[in-house]
Amino acid sequence: MQLEIKELHASVEGKEILKGVNLTIGQGETHALMGPNGSGKSTLAYTVMGHPKYQVTSGEILIDRENIVGLAPDKRVKKGLFLAFQYPVSVQGVSMFSFLRAAYNNSRPAGSEPPTIFEFKEVVAEKLKMLSMNDSFLNRYLNEGFSGGEKKRAEILQMALMQPKFAVLDETDSGLDIDALRIVAEGINRVSGPQTGSLLITHYQRILKYVKPQFVHVMFEGRIIESGGEELSRLLEEKGYTWIKGYREEEQVPPQTGQTL
Amino acid sequence: MSQASLSSFNEDLLRSISASLAEPSWLTDVRLEAFRQFISLPSEKNPLYTKYSRTFDIALDRFKLARDRTEVDFRSFFTGYLTGTESDILLQGNETQVHAELSRDLASKGVNLMSFHDALRQEEGAVRKLVEGRLVKSETDKYAAFVNAFFNCGTFVRVPRGVVLEKPLRKMLLLDSPRTSVIEQTFVIAEEEARLVYLEEQYSKGTPSPAFVASTAEVIARPNSHVDFSSIQLLDDQTTHLSNRGIEVSNDARATMSSLSLGASVSRSRTNFYLNGRGSFAEGFEIFFTDGKQRYDYETNLVHNSPDSTGSTQARGVLKGESQSIFKGMIKIVNAAKNSRSYLAHHAMILERTARSDGVPSLEIDNNEVKATHSASVAQIDEEQLFYLMARGLSPDEAKKMVVLGFFEPVLSRIPIEQTREGARFMIEGKWHEEKRRLVDRETLLAATGELTPEVKESEDIFERHYKYR
Repeated sequence: MQLEIKELHASVEGKEILKGVNLTIGQGETHALMGPNGSGKSTLAYTVMGHPKYQVTSGEILIDRENIVGLAPDKRVKKGLFLAFQYPVSVQGVSMFSFLRAAYNNSRPAGSEPPTIFEFKEVVAEKLKMLSMNDSFLNRYLNEGFSGGEKKRAEILQMALMQPKFAVLDETDSGLDIDALRIVAEGINRVSGPQTGSLLITHYQRILKYVKPQFVHVMFEGRIIESGGEELSRLLEEKGYTWIKGYREEEQVPPQTGQTL
Repeated sequence: MSQASLSSFNEDLLRSISASLAEPSWLTDVRLEAFRQFISLPSEKNPLYTKYSRTFDIALDRFKLARDRTEVDFRSFFTGYLTGTESDILLQGNETQVHAELSRDLASKGVNLMSFHDALRQEEGAVRKLVEGRLVKSETDKYAAFVNAFFNCGTFVRVPRGVVLEKPLRKMLLLDSPRTSVIEQTFVIAEEEARLVYLEEQYSKGTPSPAFVASTAEVIARPNSHVDFSSIQLLDDQTTHLSNRGIEVSNDARATMSSLSLGASVSRSRTNFYLNGRGSFAEGFEIFFTDGKQRYDYETNLVHNSPDSTGSTQARGVLKGESQSIFKGMIKIVNAAKNSRSYLAHHAMILERTARSDGVPSLEIDNNEVKATHSASVAQIDEEQLFYLMARGLSPDEAKKMVVLGFFEPVLSRIPIEQTREGARFMIEGKWHEEKRRLVDRETLLAATGELTPEVKESEDIFERHYKYR
């Protein structure tokens, strides 16, 4: 099974941001998507999840060869898609517990009996432990008053409960201190088994020390302009995005990785 | 108010009501004085609010005030809600009390739960004092004057000195008659060091019809007493609802007023807290959820007359369809009330562009050694919240419902009476699904929903989250 993005063009309020993105992610694979600010990484994440503000003008997003463009976000969840938000919103008055339970029940296969409240408590307790999170977490309002680290952990907790086939993690590493980064990264590794394909959107190489991608892609001005293995991320770290920019502007010297476009 | 309307509510009618209830002449005189106020007062006295008054105008001339002898069948209406073995409960069908049950234990302690006119017959002197010194004064509001002049029924609740009741005394009103008019006065008194919980519910049965419910309530918390009053209004969508409430809190006493309003076509409510004793504490909760063409006009004022008093009122509402609401509130702190703290909030959520809500909070403060603050907002449902929930598999409707029910929680979760708190959640969810649910007990609720909403306890301090002190 694959998540395939084909020649995807998308706009926000009439302005085209994605200008023909091509990307294929197989189950069990981890892909990193890097690129400078404003290159369209988060737009890609939102567009894949189906945010109403992001209009697909052409192209396809396929899960298991079925085009999901036009499906509402909740229907995409049913196809096995997950997005870890860069900035998860808070919802006052909704307890973390009720929310997680709803998310869990809604991501289970159709026709399966939802767990009782006690069964669910056991399920969630195990996942909390994995992410070094406290029980008291469940008695708070959804993301309200959460620190940056707590929010990111909560996203991975949701991923752990929903067990998606394909997960897009939008800057899950940003705003984390070293310890929190390690916990979140380990969480991602444990959650994404051979059944999960992940797209890790990041600015920095540091999370890639813990989560090893097989593929690294560089996005620039709404397109993926470079793809390679892990060594590409190191090269980016060394040379910076200006190197990519320079390369694009001159359009002559091939990058020193020896990769072809 | 047109001249024609006055003709249906006239002095002859007033005298005939008073006579049919065998009232003493002093009470007839009190009614007559109220009637004079009713005629002379405009429907909105406060110039701050007159620009809104047209939307919420009430045409009293639509209503008749004939004695209604319809026998109301409670049994079938409350199947599954009342077991028939409840005690400490008053049932009223239209304006007639049909059942009163006070447990022997409470009766022996001197607790009263009876109709106003029974109390009048038993203790005329005490009742007269209450009526003549009442908080909901005729000269303050046209509709208060109306009820004081034309009331055709009433309730009297009193817990004697030092008697502590943790379980609610309940009163249920069930309307079942086209064009019935229930005009009632309620007195709730907690004597010194008493503890009193009162739970009032209003429902309609049968086909919706333009009925009329108008009431005043006097709540008196004597020194060191504690009163929790809660009221639930689920009248049908053709009924007009009027309410005027005064709550007096004495030295070191505590009073809360929790209101859940879901029904009626037009509802107008005035609540005044008088913090008259040193160290008094009052907290109000106004929760409403409207749809269709419902119109709610609510006002709550906190009047601090004594030092070291604490008051708070929080209103929270959600509006669907073409419904409209206005919430007005005033914090008034007199010069003598130093070291008082007061908080007033109104937050509304609009679900459709056709709905409308206004909030008009204000402050009037004559002492600098106080803390007083207010907050208000009217907002549409947040699309980013909906997207987030849908990205977790919730359908658009489930996502909306979760955000809406959550919106009530910060206020709802503070309601001190568990039965009202849990019941309100159940009833609000019912309204979301366009079904009418009544307040149920915990066991029935558990059986119906499988579980209770997990409680999120926020800070007990109502001021902690607000930095904008004056």
